[in-house]
Amino acid sequence: MQGWVILALLLSLGVLRSRGQNGLSELAVPHSLTLQPDLPAQTLSLTWQSDSSLFDIEIFHTELMNVVLNETVAVTAGPVTGQRGWTWRSPSPLECTSHSVQIRARNQQSVSQWSPLQTIPGSDIPEKSESYMYPQDKVVPVGSNMTFCCIVKEKYNFKEIMYKGQTMSATRLSRRAYAITVTNQPASDNTGTNVVCCSPMFTLTGAVVFVGYPPGDEGLVCETRDLASAECSWKKGRDTHLRRKINRTNYTLNGRDCLEANEGKTWLCSSKVWEENWTLVARNPLGTVRLTDSAQLADRVHLLAPANVTAVEVEAWNATLNWSWPVAAYKKLEMICQLKLIGHELSSTRNYSGTGLSSVMLEDLWPDVDYTVTVRCGSKHAFWKWGDESAPYSIHTKMDRPDALDVWLWMDSSNTGRVFWKPLSERESHGALVGYKVSQSSAEEDMWTPVSLPPERLNYPIILNNSSDITVAVAAQNPAGLSQPSAVTTPAYRADSQLSVSELLGTHGTFELSWQPNANASRGYVVEWVPTGCRGLCPVNWEKVPESDRSFTVKPDSLEGGVRYTVSVYVLSAGAASLLQRWQGYSQEMIPAQSVVELSVNQTGSDVLLSWKASAMEHQRGFIRGYTIYLANAARLDLVANISDPEVRSYRVKGLPLSSYKFIVKAYTSAGEDMGLTVAIKMEIETAEMLFVGILVPLAAMFCCLILISICCYKKREWVKKAFYPEIPGPKVPGDWSSPPGPLDVKPSPHSLVHIVESPEWDFSKKGLVPVPEEEEEFENDNIEVDTDSDEPALLRYYNHVVGDGSHSNHVSDSSGSSTASVGSTQTEVTYTGIQSPSSSQGVCDGGGYRPQMQSAADPAEPQGEFEADFQDDSLNTGYKPQCSWQLDSPEAENLSGSLGSPTSVTSSQFLLPESSEEKPQSSNTWFHSFLSGKS
Amino acid sequence: MTGRGANGRRGLRGHAGKTSALARLLHKECIELLEAYRNSESLPSSPVAGDYLVSIPPLVPQLSDAEKISILRAALKECLRLLEDVITREDADFSDEDSEYRRKRKTVRDRLGHLLASTEQLVDGHKFEAEVKEELDGQAAGGSFGLKKWIVRVLQELVHWTGQTSDTLHSLPAEMEKTPKTMSRRTRKGGAGKIRK
Repeated sequence: MQGWVILALLLSLGVLRSRGQNGLSELAVPHSLTLQPDLPAQTLSLTWQSDSSLFDIEIFHTELMNVVLNETVAVTAGPVTGQRGWTWRSPSPLECTSHSVQIRARNQQSVSQWSPLQTIPGSDIPEKSESYMYPQDKVVPVGSNMTFCCIVKEKYNFKEIMYKGQTMSATRLSRRAYAITVTNQPASDNTGTNVVCCSPMFTLTGAVVFVGYPPGDEGLVCETRDLASAECSWKKGRDTHLRRKINRTNYTLNGRDCLEANEGKTWLCSSKVWEENWTLVARNPLGTVRLTDSAQLADRVHLLAPANVTAVEVEAWNATLNWSWPVAAYKKLEMICQLKLIGHELSSTRNYSGTGLSSVMLEDLWPDVDYTVTVRCGSKHAFWKWGDESAPYSIHTKMDRPDALDVWLWMDSSNTGRVFWKPLSERESHGALVGYKVSQSSAEEDMWTPVSLPPERLNYPIILNNSSDITVAVAAQNPAGLSQPSAVTTPAYRADSQLSVSELLGTHGTFELSWQPNANASRGYVVEWVPTGCRGLCPVNWEKVPESDRSFTVKPDSLEGGVRYTVSVYVLSAGAASLLQRWQGYSQEMIPAQSVVELSVNQTGSDVLLSWKASAMEHQRGFIRGYTIYLANAARLDLVANISDPEVRSYRVKGLPLSSYKFIVKAYTSAGEDMGLTVAIKMEIETAEMLFVGILVPLAAMFCCLILISICCYKKREWVKKAFYPEIPGPKVPGDWSSPPGPLDVKPSPHSLVHIVESPEWDFSKKGLVPVPEEEEEFENDNIEVDTDSDEPALLRYYNHVVGDGSHSNHVSDSSGSSTASVGSTQTEVTYTGIQSPSSSQGVCDGGGYRPQMQSAADPAEPQGEFEADFQDDSLNTGYKPQCSWQLDSPEAENLSGSLGSPTSVTSSQFLLPESSEEKPQSSNTWFHSFLSGKS
Repeated sequence: MTGRGANGRRGLRGHAGKTSALARLLHKECIELLEAYRNSESLPSSPVAGDYLVSIPPLVPQLSDAEKISILRAALKECLRLLEDVITREDADFSDEDSEYRRKRKTVRDRLGHLLASTEQLVDGHKFEAEVKEELDGQAAGGSFGLKKWIVRVLQELVHWTGQTSDTLHSLPAEMEKTPKTMSRRTRKGGAGKIRK
């Protein structure tokens, strides 16, 4: 028995030794592990008892036993309790699911056993069957990351979690719990950002997260409005985006709540008493801002607006303004007030100072003007800022008499003139004008005769009945009365021709004048400028110059370019103004509006004299500096002359050949030349010369030629006779031509050239007339030998078919092909002008070449009975052969040469002249005729 | 009531027509209000889980038109109370900045008041009361989202009951013309019948 006990002890010792060798036996298991969750902070505090200082901690999601933490930490024991504690911050809300914790002690590689699991239950335990989402209503800064979890209601399925309407990727934490993680969250809208958990059918639950910024307020400034209390203001920083009332920024000033600011309506905080140091604390769930300010009350006076501003006395030139203060303490405050006056076309600010200022007199106002006045004041000593501005107050000043007029009298002749005055401006009229009163008196009469004029009149004519000067006085009138009259005495009229008028050149559209001082100019000078040559109601301008001045510039607004002005300087003294100096000039020269006038051109031999006149002055638009003369040549102008003297108005162009010319004359000013005036001339020979050259010279030349020809012919008369009038040999006649001739029956050669002459006796109605188509004519001609050397017509042309009354031939069916000329030529006489070779013509007749009448087809429309027999006879000869019939009738056709040149009757077909005539030698007239006609 | 003549019945029918049109308009506006709220809050269009908040006795065919209208009017009355409660809590929690949802919300509240006043003439003296099974106080744990979810449920309730009322009023004139006596008899027999409080 003891042996068994010893064995057991030994065995147990062995086991202990082996444990100690594994390191387990030396470390005690931590105990008394407790878990303390902080749900809003998502932290879990662990406390335990242990002698070790190094621990392994494991945290699980209980249901799925997913390890969410496995960490070795060194933890010291608390000095009092000896407990060890460690806090873990969960990435997901602790309510999402149950968490289990175990812990073991560690000493290098030695570890104790794990402590028993400690679990904090989540909201997904079966006892809580509803839907939940965590965290709820959390406030986080913009850009933060968060994990949301949804616990699905029992018996419901999970579908999705939506963040701000967007479905997020969810992970499963337990049977009913799902989580999403959102990173870099943007700022929320008014009611926060919604995170919604949905089942396939319903919206189950959700949470709201408020994402925003900490307060960004700045610039705290405190001031007093009533010299007792304080009003602190600051600038609101950026929008915190936290609109839920419990999340809004909360403000306290020196520890007191700022109620109005906490409502989010203003950024003001008031304090009933002034404290020299101020601290504003702005706090929201995401942060706190502290703003401070420090100042004495007197340095921060911001006055309220003056009340009840009224004008107690308003005159033409001043007004008295009163107001009251809403704070009685202001009455003892040294203050400065600023009145802002806004009138028509004028505004000004005026400062007034005084203690408790509440009344000021506004001076230097203008009569009859509406003013709007506002008042604001500030503390004079240690001025902080202008106080609030009063409501605008309107005043209207009274009218006053107008200012004196600026009057001038312009004489346009020795006894007529016109008094002018300048209109009064609003500043000068002091009230709407109702008219003018013009009075004039002469030195002799010493009596004023007033005339009332309407307010739109600005001049009045003056007539000097006698040579004495008159004085004119003009006064403006408004409801407040008449202005001081302005008097002017007629100056002596001086025409330009009576003076040496200088040329005045404008400078940049102005006239710069200067003159020698005059000792009599006790009242200064008057510069007057009027368009030159103007009469009657002219735009007279004038300006009065102090006596100390000796120069004046006429401004361009009263001058017009291209207009010549007469500028005069008058000396003003006690009496009438006297002329000191006069100019004429252009403020700006332009090219002439009209060219020269009356341009004429005259020819003198080979010279041309151009002459012209200058255009009217109003068209010159500048001083004429000269003229240019151009010769128009096609599309270009050739400069002929440039006349730089404007007084020269003619020019002689010398040595022009006979032709037509166009001359253009242009005037030019300093601005350039005008378009010019054109004149044309055609250069002609003068009468005597023309007679000589045109008639006598050719006549003389012709006479000389005739004489030379006559002499030459006389000298060479023998040669001329041979050449033009040679001896003609006698004819050589074979056979016996001495027997008296019998009746000669000569028939014309079958092929002779014939001229067919119209015969008036021909009856056009006879059917023998056959118009020959043009084509057939040509065809016929092609088959006839032509004497190409002859100028005479070589062919016998048939325009009709003359056979005699008894011969009837067929018509050419195509009558349309015959020309009207052919038809018209039927009444002809035939004259033989040449005879063709019989042999050749014979062939033609026998051949099948030309047979215009061969057509047997008669016109079916024509009756044929009368012509039938002849037609049949002709048809035996295969058609019509007019020349062949000659051959039948006269076999001695080869002897027909003796009948050449004899006229032949067409109807008789015989030579009309007797044979004896053939024997006679040709007369010289005949030869000469042939020579002249070109025949050999 | 029994003394109401033909002119009175014609007037009643005319009034019922106007009330029907008013209910139809209100129903449309309630739908728009719910839509506007969902849009402003980026909420899903699926309904919020849960039963109807307002409970009424079943509208069985045996009930007269006046009784039906009276019962529906009781439900609408509770809806108005819920809506006003929601408005108060919503304005207390969040800033009262102007928005389309808030303008529509005011319109629906005002028009619902008009509809209740208008239907009062059609109930013929019947008085029923509806029951609200849940209150917002019980949803306080839900935080801000609990309030939003409650708002959706109230708006869903409004859509439902205004739709029911509109349908009932729409069929009312013809039936009233057919069965004026029934209506009169039930009116006499009726009286205040409290279903549940």
